[in-house]
Amino acid sequence: MKKHLALFCALVLALPMLAAVHQPGFGDRKYSVTGMLEYSYNTTWGHHGNMDIQALMPINPHFEMEAKVQLSTANVYTGVVQLRPKFQVPVGELFVETDVLYKAVARNRLGDMTAALGVGYRMDYVSVTLGLFCRVIDNWDRSVHTDETYVVEPFNLLYRLEVFCRPQNNPWNLSFMFSNVDDYQMERMWQPLFMVGAWYDVADHWRLNFGVQCKPTGMFHLDATFYGATFRTGFTYKF
Amino acid sequence: MKKIVYLVVALALVACSEDSTLDIKGMFSPQGETVNTRFEQSMAYNDSVGEIHLEMFSDEYTIYVCTDSHITRKTHKNLDYFMAQYLAAPLPKMALHLGDLIDAQKNYPCADSVLRQPGVAVNQAQSILRPFPLFITPGNHDIYFKQWPIYRDLFKTSAYWFDTNNGSKKLDLFICLDSAEGEIGTKQTAWLKNLLETKSKEGYRHIIVFTHTHLWKLDGSQGHTSNYALEASYELTSLLSKYGVEYVWSGHQHARQSVIFKGVQYLVLNATKDSEKGQSYMTAQMGEGISYQYFDFPKE
Repeated sequence: MKKHLALFCALVLALPMLAAVHQPGFGDRKYSVTGMLEYSYNTTWGHHGNMDIQALMPINPHFEMEAKVQLSTANVYTGVVQLRPKFQVPVGELFVETDVLYKAVARNRLGDMTAALGVGYRMDYVSVTLGLFCRVIDNWDRSVHTDETYVVEPFNLLYRLEVFCRPQNNPWNLSFMFSNVDDYQMERMWQPLFMVGAWYDVADHWRLNFGVQCKPTGMFHLDATFYGATFRTGFTYKF
Repeated sequence: MKKIVYLVVALALVACSEDSTLDIKGMFSPQGETVNTRFEQSMAYNDSVGEIHLEMFSDEYTIYVCTDSHITRKTHKNLDYFMAQYLAAPLPKMALHLGDLIDAQKNYPCADSVLRQPGVAVNQAQSILRPFPLFITPGNHDIYFKQWPIYRDLFKTSAYWFDTNNGSKKLDLFICLDSAEGEIGTKQTAWLKNLLETKSKEGYRHIIVFTHTHLWKLDGSQGHTSNYALEASYELTSLLSKYGVEYVWSGHQHARQSVIFKGVQYLVLNATKDSEKGQSYMTAQMGEGISYQYFDFPKE
């Protein structure tokens, strides 16, 4: 375990150093704060609303960090930290996605912790990420005097394919995404999410965001049905 | 590399017999009745039959459990063996099949001939009249390709409960959930909650839920099997825990697993499929406690 941790840390620290020469492009993202409101429905939790707060911290051109919090009226609270080493290549940008997500499912008195490591590549119109994540689900009421332990789901594939209508540094855009992860959930690999996103820079510092997400179930049982949908909108302030 | 092969051939794995037609449309929209419709039809049948109380004439009895037989017209020797063992076992007893009885369409006549042996009851109405009850829950292979009407003709219902008794003494409660498409649906969830609220106060010795799709994805090597949405896993496990369910028996992932979460023991069984590695079935000895044992199928 220590070996894996050391390897992981070395990877995170080494990749920015590989990108010795900074090139303009995706690396020029600015510090920003995003606030979003969501209406969401799924067949398990019914109708509910979410409030999202996100902070993007591009610490240097080769390393950025994001912190995200979601508060849901379904009595579920999610926190995410993402570390993203990145470096420019002749065409596009390579990045390493390292995420830790904790979902406090207070309504069911359990916690769901996920840690992910992925490798991504993005160009003007396309962004692709592939990786793995591990999940640990723990019962908040677990007694130490029983045989019960936490549930570990050791292997899950992380995949994300996002296609943009305009280059990613354009003041407006429309994107289509197919993935099993989004900002606040990491679903099992056979539970994909379909998303459409849009943004429009309304002023120098302000961006308006929209998003719609659809979550079917049973796709890989070859009998897909609607499970849930989310509509979100909000503003980003870029410093 | 093995995982990548799993990914690439995933679609083939869900429809893997010579009879199958890969119905890609099913990945994007329901091609037959959804779980809510199947549930409504099952409740209509259950109401017409009435409650099922199995008289065991003893406090102790044996349950034979198998899953994922995936039989085709060509091969069903493990299911034949399972049925032979079940029929030869001493009374009192009953059997459960946890879904994916068949592999793909056109195999129901064969499944029917394997299961319909003298004395075997394959539906609710028969179960109180015949000595060898066999209860089944649908798997994804049993209902996709629009096969629910055939399943319903043979087994009548996909969501139901029954209990076992020794004279006037209540023994154990069994609840069958339809999770064939990785979702139990709003109506079945409401029914389950109401049923557990009522029945958990009636003094049953054990409460057991059996269904096809497993709740947890514990074994990374079983990458090709899909699950419930996470929200459904959280909610269902909490509901089962709240009302004192002791065991959940399921199949679907073709690999044996056991985990205790929130006081409920989740057992996933190996497949009964002939071509599978590590095939086995389970017997559960029901008494004041429950002891279970796995038996490998004979190798050729």
